Amino acid sequence: MVSGRRAAHALVRFAVLVWVALTLNFALPRMAPGNVVDYLLPPEEGGSLPADQRLDLLRQFGLDRSWPVQYWRYLTGALRGDLGVSARYGRPVTDLLLERVGWTLLLVGTAALIATVVGTMLGFRSGWRRGSARDAGVMAGVLVADSAPPFFVGSLLMLVFAVKLRWFPTLSGLGRNDEHGLAAVVNVLRRVTLPLTTLVIANLGPLYLVARSAIVSELQEDYVFLAEAKGLSADQVRRHAQRNALLPVSTVAMVNLGTLVGGATVVETVFSFPGLGRLIYESVVARDYATIQGAALLLVLGVVIANLVSDLIYPLLDPRVRAQRESR
Amino acid sequence: MTPRRARRSIRLSRPARLLGGLGIGLVTVVVGAAVFAPLVARFSPTARTGRPFEHPSATHLLGTNDIGQDLFAQLLYGARVSLIIAFLSAVVAVAIGLGVALAAGYLGGRVEMLLMGVVDLTLSFPFFVLVIVLSVFLGRGVLGAVLITGVVLWARPARVLRSQVLKTTQFGHVTAARAMGAGTPRILFRHVMPRLMPLIVGQLVRAANIAVLIQASLAFLGLGDTQRVSWGTTLYFANARSAVLTDAWKWWILPPGLALTVTVVGCAFVGLALEEWADPRLANHRPPYRARRVSRPTSGGRDSAIRADRRSSLIVRGVTVDYLGRGRAARAVDCVDLDVGSGRICGLVGESGSGKTSLANALVGMGRRPAKVIAGSAVLGSFEVPIRRRSEMALLRGRRIAFIPQNAMNALNPARRILDQVAESAALTRGDAGARSRAVELLELVGIPGERHRAYPHEFSGGMRQRVVIAMSLANDPELLVADEPTSGLDVVTQSHILALIVELRERLGMTLLLISHDLPMLAKVSDDLAVMYGGRIVEVGETASIVESPIHPYTVALLAAHPTLRGPRRVLAALAGEPFDPARLPSGCRFGPRCPHVADRCRSDEPTLRPIAGGRSVACVLVGDSEPESQPVSVKVNAGG
Repeated sequence: MVSGRRAAHALVRFAVLVWVALTLNFALPRMAPGNVVDYLLPPEEGGSLPADQRLDLLRQFGLDRSWPVQYWRYLTGALRGDLGVSARYGRPVTDLLLERVGWTLLLVGTAALIATVVGTMLGFRSGWRRGSARDAGVMAGVLVADSAPPFFVGSLLMLVFAVKLRWFPTLSGLGRNDEHGLAAVVNVLRRVTLPLTTLVIANLGPLYLVARSAIVSELQEDYVFLAEAKGLSADQVRRHAQRNALLPVSTVAMVNLGTLVGGATVVETVFSFPGLGRLIYESVVARDYATIQGAALLLVLGVVIANLVSDLIYPLLDPRVRAQRESR
Repeated sequence: MTPRRARRSIRLSRPARLLGGLGIGLVTVVVGAAVFAPLVARFSPTARTGRPFEHPSATHLLGTNDIGQDLFAQLLYGARVSLIIAFLSAVVAVAIGLGVALAAGYLGGRVEMLLMGVVDLTLSFPFFVLVIVLSVFLGRGVLGAVLITGVVLWARPARVLRSQVLKTTQFGHVTAARAMGAGTPRILFRHVMPRLMPLIVGQLVRAANIAVLIQASLAFLGLGDTQRVSWGTTLYFANARSAVLTDAWKWWILPPGLALTVTVVGCAFVGLALEEWADPRLANHRPPYRARRVSRPTSGGRDSAIRADRRSSLIVRGVTVDYLGRGRAARAVDCVDLDVGSGRICGLVGESGSGKTSLANALVGMGRRPAKVIAGSAVLGSFEVPIRRRSEMALLRGRRIAFIPQNAMNALNPARRILDQVAESAALTRGDAGARSRAVELLELVGIPGERHRAYPHEFSGGMRQRVVIAMSLANDPELLVADEPTSGLDVVTQSHILALIVELRERLGMTLLLISHDLPMLAKVSDDLAVMYGGRIVEVGETASIVESPIHPYTVALLAAHPTLRGPRRVLAALAGEPFDPARLPSGCRFGPRCPHVADRCRSDEPTLRPIAGGRSVACVLVGDSEPESQPVSVKVNAGG
């Protein structure tokens, strides 16, 4: 069965990506300049440690063993969810990640959804009326928004809506956490709105551009001519073209997710949003390497899983894909 | 076409030129600030030259930060680090990408599969997270930043350049060079690289763009080189000291943030213009939809060739179609008159460029830019067809007038089931439920069995798809069906099946048919009447049988002589000499004159008009006199055959 082959292909790809990410995580601290022990402890403790204690530490973490053994232990540990211990908090990294991952999931997931829908709709409208003054205006606006660094956009939004207008809290991470029911929902909304808006603004660009160019090229296709020849109205013709233009859009939406996750790291930092990105920033400041690695791994994993899912559902969008894949 | 000519013909569209110019301007300002920073700034960016948190003043144009460093100096010097890192990272990224692209595109096979697999994998990583991890462990210096960013960004240029390498190596002159024994390095540098240059520059700009943002974001996260002043580090300290909460944001956050935005916008604009330059198709520049010089249709229409013996169902008068180009218009259809009797099949025949498709499109209101119907009228039954008003034609099309465009069978929407596509046509005049049952009925009518109604177009053969198209066109009981090359692209057996279907449907449904084709024998088999087009005009029209029996116009004679017949006497086939008609170079007098074997002086001075002769025929040839309708064609025929 062809779609089975496609699924197998996607799964292999997924497995390879996860393996590469894990291996990179294993190799980097060992390739980095300095001693591995420096990456186990905060610098202020690690630097002053006597030699025998350093050896103890090595033994404790199994770092005195040969590389293949270390690698094997690391891989099996990671697969069981053991990502080491945070030097800053003295707790398992996995626990820290689990506390934060929900917030990032909420932020990134919603932002991806909104950015995709809004960017695509704007792009379709622009492409349909390409060359018009409105098309040019929207295009320029999106390009500028896309070019502004996300943390700058975030700072400006915070300035206007949190500091001047006081509609939202300046620091999303602070505030009470003991509300229930509606109050809790409102609280979350108030915290999420600004980081979310920032992320959406910063990530509209690629989707807008691909949607616009996809619709422009679809409109030159024979089937649009045929649809017009059939006597369909402009709206009906547009629907035909848009459905097919969604294919390149969906591909870019998935690639964009990776960019969006990167942007989230910075935006969370601006707003002190309690997600994985903020955790990475805090850990960078505290030189908490295990936590940085764990958070990065989880983010990569999230993107890779999303890609896998989209790979698997892609044939539902385009009935030709099966046939095409086969012939390639 | 020589490369030089190609280069000259590439012109950027106005928006691209505007954006490109603006982008170059912005980038120049930023580069200027970086280069001349020591001349413009009065202080060192890292020295404590003032009190902390000073407001802007004549000495400190943008005030000072929390430790009294001059923010204006930081802004200017910051451009240096940002630009250097961005430029070098871009060079690294594109260099790696180019190497991979050349290797993959040129070596092919397994190497290519492997390399492109790696590219795909790299592209699916969230690159900024990767950059964070890499810079945490591999250092924060400028060199580190450059290498890390370059290594992370190489995949996109690799993919874009690879496809261009593939295209380039398939160009004729590259194949030829290889066939003549040119070595791989020579081919790469002489033939492939020049074609890649515009794309390389474009990718360089694009990569620099992302690198600026990456560098700033890294610095903002405290992962940059905090010893060196860059826009990112300035913003990092501003954020760490919560500058947003005080007035300091105006000179601490806004200037570096805007500087970053301006740099990236500038690069993006330059990139857009470059991409269009590399791929002129993106420009999509069409000639403006207005005529600079619209001449009046040439005379010769009104009083000719109305057939009095039959009440005409479709009457076309004086239809003129121009292709509006820069400065001048090319006339594709010149004042054409045509009558198709009610319920009859009229075949419209002519070679490529004779204007038959332009005429068909005009009759159904589908003339696309730059084609424009500039004159003419049509009457269907007693109903005036508004052929010059596209919006009104849209309401008629698919209802009273059906149209099967050229190549329609390959134009079905690939993502929708055929039943839905036919139902969509039927739904123009009825509700959804009615439309579906009508669609089933129509598909059965054209011979597609019920179990296949829910299939997709790619699951059908060409002939079956053409049946679907026919079903679609009949959905709302049209009075007139215009079919443009309905059988081309099909094999001979399928062709005859489709033709039989069309004839059968005409019999059952009683519509009037205009069949357009270059294939005279095919039309001769099915049509009642025949109209022969040349150079945008009808040169001969009449009943099919009589035209095939005794063609009069030299062009008709030549067309018939060029096709073999199965029945009848064996004869020598004659291809038509000379170049096809070019509407941009109108000959004086008869348009067929330059290719006509009987051309006389009169042909060069007088423009022939379509005049009725005996037997219900009309011919546009000055050599054919009304007085001698039978003698002339015979001599013409003999001469053309020999």
